[in-house]
Amino acid sequence: MKLRVAFFDFASCEGCQLQIANLEEEILDLIEIVEVVSFREIMKEHSDEYDIAIIEGSIMRPMDEKRLRDIRSRAKTLIALGACATTGGINKMRNQRSVEDVKEEVYGSDKITKDNEFFNVFQTKAVDEVVPVDYYIHGCPISRDEFKRVITALALGKKPVIPTYPVCVECKKNENVCLFELGKFCLGPITRAGCNAICPTNGSVCEGCRGILKKPQVECVMDILERYNLTYEEMKRRSTMFNMSAFSAKDEMTMVGGSKDE
Amino acid sequence: MTRSKVIKVIVKKDLDSFANNLIKDETHEVIGVKAKGEKFVFAPLENADELRLDYDVTILPPKKYFLPQYEKMMGFNLDKPFDVKESDAEKPRIIIGIHPYDIIALQQTDKLYLDSQKDDFYEKRRDNTIIIGVDIQNVSDRSFAASMKTNVTDSGFDLMLTNLGKDYAITVGSEKGKKLLEKYAKTKDATKSDIKKIQKVREDIASLYKKKVKIDKEKWSSVLVANYNHGIWGARSDRCMGCGSCTMVCPTCFCYDVEDEVSLNLKDGTRTRTWDSCLLRDFTKIGSGEVFRDDIKERYRHRFYRKGNYLPERYGFVACVGCGRCGVACLPDIADPCDVLNDLSHFEKSDDTDRFFIKQETKAIEGGTIHVPKAATIRRMEKLTENETLFEIELDDSKPIGHKPGQFVEISIFGIGEAPISVSSAPSESSSFEIVVRKVGNVTSKLFTMEPGDKLGIRGPFGNGFDVKTLEKKHLLFATGGIGMVPTRSLINHVLDKKNRGKFEDVTILYGCKRPCEILFMDEIKKWEKIDNVNCILTVDTCEEEENWDGDVGLITTLFTKIDLDKFDSKNTIAIVVGPPIMYKFVIKSLETMGISEENILVSLERRMKCGVGKCGHCQINGVYVCKEGPVFNYSQIKNLPEAFE
Repeated sequence: MKLRVAFFDFASCEGCQLQIANLEEEILDLIEIVEVVSFREIMKEHSDEYDIAIIEGSIMRPMDEKRLRDIRSRAKTLIALGACATTGGINKMRNQRSVEDVKEEVYGSDKITKDNEFFNVFQTKAVDEVVPVDYYIHGCPISRDEFKRVITALALGKKPVIPTYPVCVECKKNENVCLFELGKFCLGPITRAGCNAICPTNGSVCEGCRGILKKPQVECVMDILERYNLTYEEMKRRSTMFNMSAFSAKDEMTMVGGSKDE
Repeated sequence: MTRSKVIKVIVKKDLDSFANNLIKDETHEVIGVKAKGEKFVFAPLENADELRLDYDVTILPPKKYFLPQYEKMMGFNLDKPFDVKESDAEKPRIIIGIHPYDIIALQQTDKLYLDSQKDDFYEKRRDNTIIIGVDIQNVSDRSFAASMKTNVTDSGFDLMLTNLGKDYAITVGSEKGKKLLEKYAKTKDATKSDIKKIQKVREDIASLYKKKVKIDKEKWSSVLVANYNHGIWGARSDRCMGCGSCTMVCPTCFCYDVEDEVSLNLKDGTRTRTWDSCLLRDFTKIGSGEVFRDDIKERYRHRFYRKGNYLPERYGFVACVGCGRCGVACLPDIADPCDVLNDLSHFEKSDDTDRFFIKQETKAIEGGTIHVPKAATIRRMEKLTENETLFEIELDDSKPIGHKPGQFVEISIFGIGEAPISVSSAPSESSSFEIVVRKVGNVTSKLFTMEPGDKLGIRGPFGNGFDVKTLEKKHLLFATGGIGMVPTRSLINHVLDKKNRGKFEDVTILYGCKRPCEILFMDEIKKWEKIDNVNCILTVDTCEEEENWDGDVGLITTLFTKIDLDKFDSKNTIAIVVGPPIMYKFVIKSLETMGISEENILVSLERRMKCGVGKCGHCQINGVYVCKEGPVFNYSQIKNLPEAFE
């Protein structure tokens, strides 16, 4: 029996699902090995019976929470897809301000937002802040290769391997000139690998879209910042893009988006 | 020596033509040193103009052309799993511009990869590559090659270029090199004055090194051994991110991991190996989730000991060539061996340099490749307990695997991966053997879904098993915990076999499990008990009333009080201890109180045995490879290994 797979989107650009839609001919292989029962971007059919639920997007409203809990109760396996789902992603940047403040700025004091559940937003949450997540496919956007690795692993009955080491490992394998040496500020040393260091390899700094690693050694990070004339404030500011929750009030970094057994 | 070698001279523009002639000949690929931004890399050459023989150091060493970042070891088809496709043959290569320290690093790699258990992929590339070295012209700020005596070399190359100003000297290092020159280059013989100039160039370079190690490389081992518990490891590793960059750029880091990947059609797949790093936490993680070097301090220290003590004791060379790449790559700048050794230079030295190492010959692997598994078929499956199942496996060539008790095999399932599993049956002429598997990781979980008749792969048997000859005429005392019974059973059944029983004295088997339902081979234990002079005592940690357990309750150590010490001949007894890590310390203590000397205690240890042939680096306990010198050890050999029982 083929595994039944359903895709769901919450607050996101749906770009990670687009990565999957863009598998093009390989989509035919995908539907050979699993039965896709719901995927808004490429089909109109929908079924509420599925083994694997793949969730893209962040959770913004009570109505999202309710919907996500319902999905979780139906799925044997739940996968968080892409940064919005795994870490809260860009959507979480708004948690720096109060909900009222954000609403005011985006919608003005328009009456439509009042008593309308669509506009009833709370502080942004990653998927695992609402329901347990079995597997994470990280990134903004996700890597198609990693998606394929996870899906084939699950189809073969194997636990997918998601790297627990930093981007530096892949960056070195690509023989890049270290961006710190070029005076740039790269989050690669504290970010989970698995993207094949695509940004540094193409000259852009790592923005940490795959989540901050478990227990990065803060002292060590401070050391590096000092050595390259960079500040902790700057690092925090940069990390807010994908890792709002990585910095607690005590300025301790914690892992964002990862299974508990890592 | 340089003098006995043929030396030619080539004018600079003819050196360019030489390179261009090589590039034009499409029977091989030409690699050379090129600029990448302000740095340098080895990369395919399109034109001699790109060649930068004046470089200081490349970002990655030329290792990547012998042990690539990602290497497709074999292709497989899940429908026909043993129709293994070997990797496509690569074009021969010529690499131009390798510095002496990198040539020496390759010679070191040869020692590991071309030993009695040859790595065929590496060997093929080594045979297929011509090395044109170049004497260093500019010294990297971070390099300390002169201290390591690796700034010059008189072997390991086919040709060696030396910049003499107007001309280049070419030292011929091999027949291949000589032929290459004859075919593609216009040279003349070097004069006496040219040869003098070469010497001068090499001497001048040595004087340009600013970074110097205060400890001779011959002394690294003794300094490290004496300072294993020095505060420097904690102080420095507090600033270590564990990012693995130092090992990624290192020419003498050889460890690898292997992963299976299957394409989206679930039909074709590849088994790929990739560079791994002992600095990464998961490096020592085994199927059950245990991590043996969990603390960053242990991982940080391990790298220096591997380079400066473990490999030197095993192979006779310090596995650092002073290229300085790790110093460049390490953002907090704590990885440079020169700095670390200099910090230790005024501390104690020890003569006991082989303390973390066991000297032992390894048998060559017979018949071909170390990587491709042999096809085998599951003949029988028997559920032993809730968590463990026995598999009887037969090699498709119908030959016995020829194992010793205590050895392990790598069970290979294409698409999933490999896992080390102890052989549980006694050695025999039969073409089948037994393993017992607990569902913990991907491979073992997959095994549980398989059925008799299904195919799997076997590599091995590997490792050092029990040397049964040394057990003859001895009393044997087995102390076994949990699934430690799996390898122990192989030895017990050998000893208790009618053919062999007369060779051994009394046998006492102490066996402890958490609960009665976890006891393995109860039926066999009952048979063992009936044999003359065999005594089995079982215990469980806890049991419920309804489990009807009439044996002992308590830890295995409580069973030692049941042994009649008056009759016990401690001098003539060998103890065999196999169980979970926590068990060893306590059991060994009890054994010593009973008067069994440490030379008479045998233990079997579990680590992440990935390759089985002492290359991938995962199973190391200090300088010891569990996959080669273990898993069975004499306790006296390993009791002083700090990583063995912690």
